[in-house]
Amino acid sequence: MLPQADNTWTIFEAAHLINRAGFGGSPAAIKSLHALGRTQAVESLIAPGEPLDAFPRPAWSEREQALATFKARRDEFRAGKKAMRELTPEEAEKKKREFVKRNQQEARQQGLEAQAWWFGRMLASEAPLREKMTLFWHDHFATSIQKVKQPVLLMMQNDLFRRNALGSFKELTQAILFDPAMLLYLDAQNSKKGRPNENFAREVMELFTLGEGNYTEQDVREAARAFTGYQLDLTEGRVVHRKYQWDAGDKTIFGKTGPFDGKGAIELIFGKKEAAAFMAKKLWEFFVYEKPSAAALAALTESFQKGGFQVAPLLREIFHSKEFYSEATIRSQIKSPVQYLITLLKQLEIRKPPLGFPITGQSQLGQVLFMPPNVAGWDWGQAWINTNTLLTRYNLAGFLTKGSGSETQLTGGEKMKVPRMAATKNAGRGWQGPDYEQIAPRPLRENPGELVDSLIYRFFQSPLPSEVRASFTEYATAKKGAILTDSETAELCHLILSTPYYQLC
Amino acid sequence: MKTRRDFLRSTVLGASASWTVPMFIERTFGQLHQGARDLAVQPVTGKDDTILVVLQLAGGNDGLNTLVPFSDDAYHKARPRLAKKEKEIIKLSDHLGLNAALPFLGSLFKEGDLGVVQGVGYPNPNRSHFVSTSIWETADPGNRSATGWLGRYFDNACPGADPTVGISFNKTQPESFGALKNPGVCLNSPELYRWIHQGGNKDQAEDFFASLNRPDSGTDASTADDDGPTDGGSIAMPAGGKVGGISGEGNLDFLKRVALDAQVSSKTILELAAKHKTTVSYDGTPLARNLNLVARMIAGGMPTRVYYVSHGGFDTHNQQLNSHDRLLGQLDSGLKSFFADLKQQGNDKRVVLMTFSEFGRRVAENASAGTDHGKGSCLFLAGHGIKGGIYGRQPSLSDLSEGDLKHNVDFRSVYGNILGDWLKAPSIKPILGADYPSLGLVG
Repeated sequence: MLPQADNTWTIFEAAHLINRAGFGGSPAAIKSLHALGRTQAVESLIAPGEPLDAFPRPAWSEREQALATFKARRDEFRAGKKAMRELTPEEAEKKKREFVKRNQQEARQQGLEAQAWWFGRMLASEAPLREKMTLFWHDHFATSIQKVKQPVLLMMQNDLFRRNALGSFKELTQAILFDPAMLLYLDAQNSKKGRPNENFAREVMELFTLGEGNYTEQDVREAARAFTGYQLDLTEGRVVHRKYQWDAGDKTIFGKTGPFDGKGAIELIFGKKEAAAFMAKKLWEFFVYEKPSAAALAALTESFQKGGFQVAPLLREIFHSKEFYSEATIRSQIKSPVQYLITLLKQLEIRKPPLGFPITGQSQLGQVLFMPPNVAGWDWGQAWINTNTLLTRYNLAGFLTKGSGSETQLTGGEKMKVPRMAATKNAGRGWQGPDYEQIAPRPLRENPGELVDSLIYRFFQSPLPSEVRASFTEYATAKKGAILTDSETAELCHLILSTPYYQLC
Repeated sequence: MKTRRDFLRSTVLGASASWTVPMFIERTFGQLHQGARDLAVQPVTGKDDTILVVLQLAGGNDGLNTLVPFSDDAYHKARPRLAKKEKEIIKLSDHLGLNAALPFLGSLFKEGDLGVVQGVGYPNPNRSHFVSTSIWETADPGNRSATGWLGRYFDNACPGADPTVGISFNKTQPESFGALKNPGVCLNSPELYRWIHQGGNKDQAEDFFASLNRPDSGTDASTADDDGPTDGGSIAMPAGGKVGGISGEGNLDFLKRVALDAQVSSKTILELAAKHKTTVSYDGTPLARNLNLVARMIAGGMPTRVYYVSHGGFDTHNQQLNSHDRLLGQLDSGLKSFFADLKQQGNDKRVVLMTFSEFGRRVAENASAGTDHGKGSCLFLAGHGIKGGIYGRQPSLSDLSEGDLKHNVDFRSVYGNILGDWLKAPSIKPILGADYPSLGLVG
């Protein structure tokens, strides 16, 4: 058990909790979380009241419709194949290309819709920890639309992650074996008796459960045989284990011998203590900071193993721990692009972002949902930041705070992607900026010092170095005539956001 | 030219009396902790040194239709629809010719300024765009390295800490720039590579960027391919990329350092590049636009040793004949303008350009008159510094590895040759992990 935090519970701690266990929030949201007290605040995140189906999904991604689509596509393909016999090779080729192209275009649109849908859900959800854990699993069991090509399978996987967001790591790993998107992503589809593909077996051990050095090449080879015969049944939208393509012979994995199948191999993996240590460390690093102390890691590993790999109790322990609220933790983490974008919108009280913003923002900053770069997921922390992405963050903040006429700030005149619309350069047009009456009411703008302090609280919920605060105040004072106008307030906000400090949470 | 020292002196240390927004930003950038400040005032180097431009052909360039083995029957047999006929090509030898879309490279070859390396690759090739790109960029066939081959060059062979030692024209940092100390800078869209304060007066920098040739949608190479959500390799790869920080550096100090790098480089880049005007005209493609920028920066006297640009769309699984020729044509035309520009500036002897692609393509065409992911391929080296000619053995078209060409030149020996003999790295081993025999490409 980690040393627990004492009974103090400040508003800054509440803000820190929602920053890390969620995507930040407006001052009002932080205030109501604080009012619950620490225990209830943590419980409200771990066991949210919001139903899993609170956000209607795009129709194409609903299971029934998806299956109907699969079936229709298959029938069309078969009919097309038959018809092709009547055609010349060139005509047949042309028909085939049209078929493929149509499906690709549809998939592209669906991909954009999926990206916008999840982004919108993260922004609006009252179960932010569940969304954040869904993102965690998406990164952990990384699967990309670029290879899978069928957004519906990614949406099904997203649903799996959300349902198991705070559940058992072991059960989720077992479920991933039967996940169509993962199967396609790791080429497990072609792994058959006599011709096992080691890709899935290796990634399961190296990236999903144990980490490098905690298994041998022999274990990988043997487990690969256990993972044979798992295939996609697209008409049912699920993975089935075809026994006749499974290698039923004895395998020796981690020194144990038996006719294991994939489930059995995963069971063996979770018999090793490294599985608990691996995931406990990864969760700590995601929510707290990199490189936990040996003592903290040992305590977490023990809790996680004893608790049967259940995520909720582990996170509860972390969110009650002394270290989580320590100076070393608070405002020390580099925001991921998604964290950055959602938090910024919440802090600016923007419920409906400009049309082109969600997808353009993701792609400009280097974290596109459903498109992790490879099976290892995204590189977090400092890897998010380079000279270009940092300036882009500053400029995105300028676009959001200042309103219309500045959409080139988003893309430099490149086209923006919006679902079900032609790519456009004008998806930001008409954006009026946030409601500054709400963010900085008029009376507040009469006193530059108070205005700056209020904005610093809104954006950082912790003090900034005095010389930085002084610069902001000086600017506000210099700009102020009788009172700061909306556009001057916007400029001030943009300046405050254009700092290294704002990249941390 | 403004160095970091000048920059810090003029802004941080002597605050201006006139209170403008850009000044404000510079001041907040300047509030650095001591460590970053020490690093920041180290002198810049390399102003008149040799320069390498790395040009990525993203998606897997079809080497066999780029450097055509026209005399080999096996080539024509494997590609009934795609093979280039003898009369269609630019002959380099009795066996090999360039795709006709590459007339400028053909003329460079005649002048002895084009090196063509054939059969380049690495052991146990990987057919994934992402993995193979990563291997080329990190120069680690095990794909475990957190730093890139160019980043290790910056760290090991470029004294000082000027971030503009390497500039890549990409949204995210190419993995080859990953470094422990100095990863260079990335710059995706020059219009955005600055802190934009709208409402202020249009300054010189903005005018400069407005004057640049903007690509229109029709010529955007990265989207020109109708082949679905492009598998265009790393150009479409929404990666964060591998980057190393200085060990022990906290996140805030790291952010301040990058912020200063961004600010210094943004200022320098805009100021220096704005000076140069050229009469050479460039196409409207993103590649040509980026090469134009590189030329402007070279003319402006940037201390940059390595520039990195990408040309995407080479993942030609379908109906590749026209699209592949078109992509090569864009490459050739961009290079033609670029080298003419350099010549006009008098900088042509300082610059060598190298192409690479994550893999070549299958020898046999596929059912859709395209080609699938392959293994070994060819690459080009262009410039006065290059000893023109054909390097490596011509890979056999009958002795194949899973339908692909076998490589006979390790790509790291090309890197090693360029690093040592062109960029004058004092030692190759810390960069590539081993020494490689010289191919004699430079000279």
